[in-house]
Parts: sequence; structure tokens; C-alpha cells
Amino acid sequence: MTEFNTSPGKIRGFFGKIGQNTGLFFAGEGRLFDLFKSVVKVFGMALIRKKTVKSEHVFQQIVLMGVESLGIICLVAVAVGMILALQAAYQLKQFGAVLYTGGLVSVSMARELGPLIAAILISGRVGARMAAELGTMKTQEEVDALTTMGLNSVRYLVAPRCLSLIIVLPCLTVISQVMGMVGGFLVGTLGIGIDPYMYVEKNFDALVIKDVYTGIIKSVVFAILIALVSCHEGLSVDGGAEGVGKATTQAVVTSIILIIICDCIATAIFYYALPG
Amino acid sequence: MNNETKNIIEIKNLVKTFDDRSVLDGINLEIPEGEITVIMGGSGCGKSTLLRHLVGLLTPTEGSIMIDGENIVGISENGMNCVRRKFGMLFQGAALFNSLTVGENVALPLREHTDLKDTIIQIIVKVKLELVGLTGFEHFMPHQISGGMKKRVALARAIALDPKIVFYDEPGAGLDPITAAMIDQLILDLSRKLRITSVVVTHEMKSAFRIADKIVILRKGKILETGTGAQIQNSKNSYVQQFISGEPDGAIPLMQTSEAYLKGLLET
Ligand SMILES: Nc1ncnc2c1ncn2[C@@H]1O[C@H](COP(=O)(O)OP(=O)(O)O)[C@@H](O)[C@H]1O
Ligand SMILES: [Mg+2]
Repeated sequence: MTEFNTSPGKIRGFFGKIGQNTGLFFAGEGRLFDLFKSVVKVFGMALIRKKTVKSEHVFQQIVLMGVESLGIICLVAVAVGMILALQAAYQLKQFGAVLYTGGLVSVSMARELGPLIAAILISGRVGARMAAELGTMKTQEEVDALTTMGLNSVRYLVAPRCLSLIIVLPCLTVISQVMGMVGGFLVGTLGIGIDPYMYVEKNFDALVIKDVYTGIIKSVVFAILIALVSCHEGLSVDGGAEGVGKATTQAVVTSIILIIICDCIATAIFYYALPG
Repeated sequence: MNNETKNIIEIKNLVKTFDDRSVLDGINLEIPEGEITVIMGGSGCGKSTLLRHLVGLLTPTEGSIMIDGENIVGISENGMNCVRRKFGMLFQGAALFNSLTVGENVALPLREHTDLKDTIIQIIVKVKLELVGLTGFEHFMPHQISGGMKKRVALARAIALDPKIVFYDEPGAGLDPITAAMIDQLILDLSRKLRITSVVVTHEMKSAFRIADKIVILRKGKILETGTGAQIQNSKNSYVQQFISGEPDGAIPLMQTSEAYLKGLLET
């Protein structure tokens, strides 16, 4: 009988735990919002005073992020484009509409998968690195050293990373969109045997300019999310190497969750608010 | 202490609690200008915490801290940054920026806080590095130099803006005795030649007696004793004597039961 007696408690414990974790999650997001505000303030100041965010820091970050992630994004985007083309052709064949494979691939790559692939890969590569880097700096008192020198850590560490990601991610997103279509083209023409000229025509027929720019707007939002989450996780590390490891994992997990949630919201907004 | 020296730092009734556990428990301390004050105590007694309050990295639960006539408790971030221009800090692990060269590390505060031309900054960097005995090391990366050198670079960086006060957190920690003595000599030189007020946190007796004008002994977040080196050496307090002689057994027993340890933690 004792088992039955404990079960309500267990259930309460279980939901209590969920509630607690949700609470912690949102408390974390609250602090994230504070960081967002400080970054906005720094950018606001940068408009007034030129010295605020150093272009060389931003440039250095852009090169690091862009170059190191280009290859993997191309690879994944091409592969996803190929998969998409195969799956689309498989379904469209039933209606004798294999010709429309190109349109399906291009629209889904441009609107959804291009930005998502770039963002998720970047959160794994760049976001994780940011969190680890800042976390290590935090544990080695380098962040404190900045502060005691009267240098604002948000301005010096977070703002350049944010800005560079806002520049890099949309570029990588365009590349990812294009490479996805290339993947689709390869499968569509070589694998399925659609006429290359027809494929390209259908590919661009289906695509409207809105598809491309909504994808890019999304990628800007994702860039801000990844940079803020990763820097925030890095800067809130306390305790040694273990803390850095935890922060790195947490940065990637939280980024991906927030990216997907934001993608849902953004897609809904674009669907209802920007018809056509 | 003679009456001519003015106190550049005054701490009144400083209390700090980290979720219910008080780490600093009513500290009252004056630090005279132009002298070397050494804050000493066992590991975990709150030395670093005290120092972090003085540089504005932590805010006290209670009490006030005056630095050069300005209360830094409740001060705005901008106000604190003005006060920070008056001091430098040497962190326990040197805290050099690993992506910058030695020269760039020293130049950083100059670049960010002054409008000096680059050539002038280079000259100042050279002078500061020379002061700590590292002429010609500008182009090394932090990972290419030894721990003692890193501390000296960090010291050069701390004095880059010619501060009035320099804080040192365990300057000799993790160094061999000779290197540690060299750092002590540097602290002495800087203090005597440049009239810099030094606040040194350490648990090493030898080094403390070598450099201190004034010694403050901290225990469990309270000040146990204050005085000159000689006064501390002749102290009647059994804890101070145990600390000086470095005996494993004394006022603090060698063998502690975990209950007694936990009780000790709760008491603090
Ligand atoms: N941020 C913090 N949160 C909770 N406890 C802390 C924090 N910083 C220090 N402490 C506690 O304060 C005590 C004193 O630490 P510290 O000042 O670093 O000692 P030390 O004299 O060795 O430098 C330690 O028991 C430590 O656990
Ligand atoms: Mg310490």
C-alpha cells in the first residue's frame, strides 16, 4: 500500500520539478533580456562615440566565424537539398508532377531550411566557442580584470561578437539557401532525370522575393539569439573547467531551443501578417 | 602610524553574506596612503572577498568603503569607473588576456582610457615593462612566458595608468620562493619609488614581514589583530602565533571532525 501512498507525492514532485525548471529557464531568460538591453545600449553609444565598438575586433571575429563554418554549412545544405529533392519527387510522382520538385526544394530551402541549417550549425560551432571562450576568461578572472580596468565587458566582449554574428549569419544563410538548391538540382537532374533547363526554370518560378528576405530576417533574429545566449552562458560561469563545460553545452541547447521557438513564431507572423 | 599620513581607504563595518553565510563580518580598517598594508589570514577567511569589495567587483551587504574620499558603496557604474582609474589590481592568476601579446596587454588600459598616440603608448609600455624587469618582452604571447613573468606583466599592466593604489591578490602564490621574493622586491620598489599605496593579500608570513608597513590579520571574516610587523610578531594571540610559526597543531587543532568543521562553518 505504501507505493500508492507515495505516488501522489511523486507526481507532485515531478510536476514541481517541471515547474521549477521552467521557472529557472524563464529567470535565465530574464537575465538574458538584461544582457540584450546592455548590448543595445552599447550599440546606441557606438552611434554617438566612434571608439565604442572596435571594427578590428568585429572583423577578426567575422573572419574566424565565417571561414571556419563555411565548409560544413555547404556540406549539410547540399545534403539536405538532395534529400528534399528525393522525398519531394517520391511524392510528386504519384501526381505526375515530378517537374515541380525544383520549386518545392527552392521554397523550403529559402524560407525554412536554409536559415535553420545555418543557425543550428553556427550555434554548435560558433556559439559553443563563444561560451567556452568567455567562460574560460571568466574563470581566469580576465573578465574581472577588464572590469577593474574600467572597461565594460559587454562593450568589449559581447558587442563585437553580437555584431559579427549579425553580419556573418545572414551571409551564411544565403549560402546555405543556394547550396540547398544546388543539392536539389544535382538530384533532380542527374538522379531523377529532369531536364536541367526545366528544373532551373521551375526552381525560380516558385521562388518569390519574400521567400528570400523572410529567411534573411529570420537569420538576423537567430544571430542575435545565438550570440546573446552563448555570451550570457559564458559570462555566468562560476567554478572551474566543469562550469565551462556545462556552460558550453547549455549555450548550444538553449540556443537551439530558442531558435526553433522563434522560428515558429516568425513563420506564423510572416504567414498571417505578410500575406502574399 | 604617524599623524601626517592620511588614510586613502577607509572601510567601516563591512559585512558580506553569501546566501545566509557571512563571509565578512563587520570589518573596520584604515589603509594609510603611500604605505604597504598586508592583509593576512588562512585560506578561505575572506581575503579575496575583501579585496573584491575594494575594487567594486562585489557590493557589500552592509557598511561603507571610502576610497580617496569617495564612498564607493551605492555609486553608479560610471562613478565607479572614475574611481577605478585611481587604482590597479594584480589578480592571483595574473589574468592576462591570452589573445593579446604582452605589449598589447600593458597597452590596453592606455589605449582605452587615453587619447595618446600609438608611438607614445609604445614608449610607455616599454618603460612599464622595464620597471618590472621585462625589457624586450613586448612581442611574446602570455602562454610563452613563465608564471612569474606573467605576474610581472600583470603588474606592469596594473601600473600602466600611474595609479595611486595597487591591489595585489596573493602575489607570491604558485611561484617558487626566489621568484616570489622578486615580486616582493618589486612591490617594495614601486611603493618606495613611486609612492604607490599597496594593499597586499597573502597567506605567506615571510613575504608579509618583508614588505609590510602594516599587517592586518583576518580570521573568519573578522579582523583579529592589526599592527606593524614587530607588533604582530610579538602578539600574545595564540592563533597569530600558530600562524606565524606555521605549526600544524595549536589554536586550530590538526584533527578536525567533520561535525566540528561544519559547526565552524555555521559560526562564521
Ligand atoms: N561568489 C561567492 N559565492 C558564495 N561564496 C563565496 C563566493 N566567493 C567567496 N565565497 C566564500 O567566501 C569564503 C572566502 O573566500 P575568499 O575570500 O576567496 O577566501 P581567501 O581568503 O582564501 O581569499 C570562502 O568560504 C568562499 O567559499
Ligand atoms: Mg583568495
